[in-house]
Amino acid sequence: MKKILAALLATAMTLSLAACGGGGTSTPAASTPAGSNPSASTPAASGDKVAISVIAAEYGKQTKDWWSNFQTEFNGSHDNIDLNVEVVSWNDIYTVVNTRISNNAAPDILNIDVFADYQADDLLRPIQECVSDETYAKFYDAFLEQSNIDGTIWAIPDLASARAMYYNKDILDAAGVDTVPTTWAELKAACEKIKAYDANIYPWGVDMTTDEGQACFAYYSWTNGGDFLGADGSWALNSAENVEAVEYIVGLVKDGLTNSDPATQTRYDLQELFAAGKLAMMIGPNQISSYVASSDNPINFGIASIPANEGKSTSSVGVMDRFMVFENDDTDDKIDAIKEFFNFFYEDTRYSDWVIMEDFLPATKTGGEIMAAANPDAASWIEIVGSAKFYPTAQAKWADVKQGVIDVEQQALLGGNVKELLDALQAKIAG
Amino acid sequence: MTQTVKKPVSMKKTILRLLLYFVVLDVCVITLYPYFAMLCTALKSREEIFSAVGTVLPVTALWSNFIDIWSRAPMAKYMLNSIMIAGGSTIIAMLCGIPAAYALSRMKFKGQTAFLGFVIVSQMFAPVVLLIGIYQVMQVLHLTDSIWGLIFINAAFNQAFTIWLLRGTFMGISADMEQAATIDGCNRIQSMMKVLLPVAAPGIVTTLIFIFINAWNEYTVALCLIQTDTLKPLTVGINTFNGYNIIEWQYLFAASIFAIIPVVILFMCIEKNLVSGLASGGVKG
Amino acid sequence: MSTKTPAAPARQQSQQREPRLPNPGNKKLFRTVEPYIWIAPSIILMAIFIVTPIVKVFQLSMNKVTRAGKLKGFNNFENFTTVIKDPSFALVLKNTILWTIAVVVLSTLLGFILALILNNEFKGRKVARAIVVFPWATTLVIQASAWKFIVNTDYGTLNTLLMKMGIISAPMNWTSTPAAWFTWEIACGIFVTIPFVCFCVLSGLQSIDNSYYEAATVDGAGYFQKLFKITLPLVKSSLTVSTVLNIIYVFNSFPIIWTMTKGDPANHTDTLVTYLYKLAFYNGKQGEASAVSVIGFIILLICASIYMIYTLRKGDEDL
Repeated sequence: MKKILAALLATAMTLSLAACGGGGTSTPAASTPAGSNPSASTPAASGDKVAISVIAAEYGKQTKDWWSNFQTEFNGSHDNIDLNVEVVSWNDIYTVVNTRISNNAAPDILNIDVFADYQADDLLRPIQECVSDETYAKFYDAFLEQSNIDGTIWAIPDLASARAMYYNKDILDAAGVDTVPTTWAELKAACEKIKAYDANIYPWGVDMTTDEGQACFAYYSWTNGGDFLGADGSWALNSAENVEAVEYIVGLVKDGLTNSDPATQTRYDLQELFAAGKLAMMIGPNQISSYVASSDNPINFGIASIPANEGKSTSSVGVMDRFMVFENDDTDDKIDAIKEFFNFFYEDTRYSDWVIMEDFLPATKTGGEIMAAANPDAASWIEIVGSAKFYPTAQAKWADVKQGVIDVEQQALLGGNVKELLDALQAKIAG
Repeated sequence: MTQTVKKPVSMKKTILRLLLYFVVLDVCVITLYPYFAMLCTALKSREEIFSAVGTVLPVTALWSNFIDIWSRAPMAKYMLNSIMIAGGSTIIAMLCGIPAAYALSRMKFKGQTAFLGFVIVSQMFAPVVLLIGIYQVMQVLHLTDSIWGLIFINAAFNQAFTIWLLRGTFMGISADMEQAATIDGCNRIQSMMKVLLPVAAPGIVTTLIFIFINAWNEYTVALCLIQTDTLKPLTVGINTFNGYNIIEWQYLFAASIFAIIPVVILFMCIEKNLVSGLASGGVKG
Repeated sequence: MSTKTPAAPARQQSQQREPRLPNPGNKKLFRTVEPYIWIAPSIILMAIFIVTPIVKVFQLSMNKVTRAGKLKGFNNFENFTTVIKDPSFALVLKNTILWTIAVVVLSTLLGFILALILNNEFKGRKVARAIVVFPWATTLVIQASAWKFIVNTDYGTLNTLLMKMGIISAPMNWTSTPAAWFTWEIACGIFVTIPFVCFCVLSGLQSIDNSYYEAATVDGAGYFQKLFKITLPLVKSSLTVSTVLNIIYVFNSFPIIWTMTKGDPANHTDTLVTYLYKLAFYNGKQGEASAVSVIGFIILLICASIYMIYTLRKGDEDL
């Protein structure tokens, strides 16, 4: 009897001790199963098959279906590869990816917007090793440059989008705004006219949320000759241009010329308001066109450049997402399989199908040509994205800067002094 | 309690009754309002939801929204997963929790208080914080992307409530009956099963509902652990309608209304036991 | 009875574990060891699935952690000092305390009253009880989305309803200030917590023997006398436990605030959990995020210890 009891107790103790031990010596304990079996999710991958795991961002409602078809087609035509694509929504993708990476369970290929953090931890493979030459030659050089750290390209763009000003023609006409505003002063005057015409319409849309407040900073800083970085490539967040830019937009909010709650109303809220005719003008991505057009009773809208301050030139804001490849004890076979994946994805008709389906802009020259030929609207957007400026995502401190400028905007909304706030942020980032 | 007042004050009683109904009605209206709003939204088209002149009731009820969600996402599969996860967690949490609560209420042993304290302390980190560690454990156990992983996690995270509530319930019940049963030749387990548990039914039912609902609603851990679409529970699956460029409120709310139904049905079924448990508790306790 | 089903396998399991007792010599040892066998399954479950992740949090909080989550060695509590020095931390801490106290106190009070009401016999009680379960049966993410949708200035259903009823003539901005947002979040928190408290109390109420009340009625006690002399003391044990757990759950609650405001504007609606979530998954500072959660843990631990020492000492006499 004693022996049975002792054995039972011992088992229980060992179990709980083992559990504690697992936590204490976490890294080796976790890395062993993870290292030997990098994609635990695809136990089906057995024998000679090379397993590749992909995490892809969910851009729209068709993304999941598109990838699921892609996976079937790809696996159908590649007997030696077992591809598994997991589509994750943008709300959750950072949580999912960071949790996996912390546990040495990074996917082989990741589709996301940021890459510098992963590069800083030496997790990535230089992308040129993983893409065939003919596929690599398809990308716009300017796009590839966005993923350049210390002379190496770490990621390739999967698609791009650009921002421009959308305006409701009918509201502008009715309010007596004859010319579409091109300068900050004209914009403010137009807003005041619209407000006088109908107080229930919001003249100008502003999004300063945690979602995308950094875009707001870029819209006004870049059209005022400012930037996140100075000419020497170091952070210049508190430049006079930037202070003026933030003061201008916060001023519009305080004058009641914008949507009511810029700190919590996201771009999606603005988009709904615009499509419903409750918002006269906003800055937004090219997708708004098709979003508005899909409505039963679409509003009459126009697209123009983002207004700039007097004497300064306008600038579009480009947004670009990427594919990157993680180092997971890869064999040559696996690299070949990854190359094959990219060849398959960037194959011209499949790629333009993907971009059109997601309603984005292509990141490859060939894709751009196909789309421009098919759709004249797309052609002008492709031109816009070609001249757009991008966020400095290759900078290691970009994540801090992004949160920092959002915080500055929100503090300014609550009555903070813009100059002091930007000075403090600059000191924190540069210091 | 009002019903036990047996004085012949009919007027006062009527007023109290009316007041009672009035309050209950108010509570129900307030509680149901968000669901009314969700239902109305679920029946509207996107244009109507955001139209400049808002409507309370949908102009034409689009019942098709409720049908669309079944083709737009594997809703039935999600629901089945949720039922399995919530049911499984409830069973395991009870299997581990009842014996522990029994020991705490019927036996004296060293470390009793320490154990009770440990149970509470184990709840003090939000699952959001523990995600990275949880994922690591699941990797070692090969339970990532598995419903079993979620069942164990939910069972573990509900231990504190299970143990504390059942301990309280058991302690409130006199041990005399069990001792009598023991003299009649029952061992501990038999006396617990035959005497204690039936009397403790109301507490057990409350605990059951609590664990089930908590597991049913769990979101963050499921999000990080489950990769395969067909293994996702409802909470995570519903996010299909919460896209990058557009939130489809009508579908999101239609799906959410479906997600409430099983819990409410479960509750309605079990509520009877809540009452009958009361009866037995009243007689024997 | 359906409640027996989940317990039934427990019997088989425990029977295997518990040996028959043939001689009295072993019996004494068995008596000493027996309680530990009874609590073993629970301990094993929690040790594996909760304690191990907690150890990991402590480990992260003490280490320098890279943005992608790799550990780079002990860094002399730098995570803690960085977090505490951040000026927004004090604000977040204040919010957390306000949030916890407001939600717990109000929901306990309202839930208790609701339980007293629902404990009466009346027509439609079953329906009323089922309705009260609704907020609890809805995922918090959805619940919070619905509330955000309802109070929206531009297309919110609350404005539409009030306008249709003629109470207001133009849409109201219900969320014009951070404080207004926070109030709505607290309201939503209370709304979803009431059912939990209500059913904890109800289960306690239903195990009270009716004869107590009958005796008190004979003695001529009024409603409130009975409430304070009989009901409260008897419900106390289930209420204290649910309150302790409630404090912990509310303190750590994440989805409501995250869905409604993400802590915007400028941390004015952040609590510790949303704050650390942003640190961990938006800013890539898992070390600091873990430090925040350890600080939160210490606060909870101190509060709970005080409370538990107090109630356990008193409680053991009561029970």
